[in-house]
Amino acid sequence: MNVKRGLWLFAVALFLGSLSHTPAIASVDLSAGIRHVSDTGSLSECSAKAKAALETYLPGATESSPGSGEWFAMGQNLATGAASSGATVRCYPLAKGYVVTFVCAVQLPANPYGANALCLDIAHKFYGGAITPLAAMPTATPVPTGCATTNLVGNWVSDNDPKLTFNMQLNGDLTDNGGVSGNWIIDGSTVTLTYYGNHTLKLSPDGKHLSGPGYNLTRKC
Amino acid sequence: MTRISRRRVALLAGGLVVAFGWLSTRAPAALDVNVGAAKIVQSQPVSACNNAAKSALNAVLQNAVELGGDTGEWLAFAAPDSANGSTAAAAINCYPLAGAYLATFTCAAQVPPSVDSATALCTKLATAFDAGAR
Repeated sequence: MNVKRGLWLFAVALFLGSLSHTPAIASVDLSAGIRHVSDTGSLSECSAKAKAALETYLPGATESSPGSGEWFAMGQNLATGAASSGATVRCYPLAKGYVVTFVCAVQLPANPYGANALCLDIAHKFYGGAITPLAAMPTATPVPTGCATTNLVGNWVSDNDPKLTFNMQLNGDLTDNGGVSGNWIIDGSTVTLTYYGNHTLKLSPDGKHLSGPGYNLTRKC
Repeated sequence: MTRISRRRVALLAGGLVVAFGWLSTRAPAALDVNVGAAKIVQSQPVSACNNAAKSALNAVLQNAVELGGDTGEWLAFAAPDSANGSTAAAAINCYPLAGAYLATFTCAAQVPPSVDSATALCTKLATAFDAGAR
């Protein structure tokens, strides 16, 4: 019976462990087909406009080689820290004027807008046309602080014994003022405290109190 | 089962979960974009560019399409894998010049899981294009 229970525990834990690293389905979205021919203007004029149009939406446009008229720029998803969008604007001189092409790529769902939306805005910025605001890029999630009421990170004091304090860390560890360690985990407002056994506590709606059998704690900010 | 045996099973389970967790940790996928070659081919009509573009895209990726009919703007994606959508794509633009044509290559890849970087993809395409243009 106990062997079975142990094997079930093992199987369930293995399954949950494998799920925790399953990546979201992601793919590359590419937009091509926007081309503009100007009967007037030089390659350098096209280049100046290409750089300006790219940098309206993506930082740090660079020319693939000086004087080539081939410009590209990349954008980063600040939440993941990885590049999630890119665009190229390529100018080519004609006998009169120039031809310019626009190609854009984004990684979905990391990027909040598609390649077509990006390319249309860059092209319209270049030669004029309706600009549609692009969705804002996600920003990095701030590291929880001891005073955030949505998690337990920080210092807590026992209501029953003010000498008993706990420091709860970001990684789920906790340490009391005597150096005894344990763990915490929160699911919604339900908190499991592993400290001389497991204790199920409730986090108050204002995030400042933990209460349950054996322990009543107040957040110290 | 003794207390020690139960502890061993729990330790084994925990250890394997941690090990498998590490094994399946992946680097964050990043988008890679390459400004590929720009070729001017003399004494050839733009239709030759279109033929070579379609052939190259189908050789390296799949289902090449010309956008909007007779535009010379070609696009193709890699076959979707089981866990993701297409993780690589490329565009070839053909533009007619006086007695010649201009072909430009642009590639994008999501690395990982794409095994080819955008640069490698564009290099393959340019090679396949040259073979098809002969």
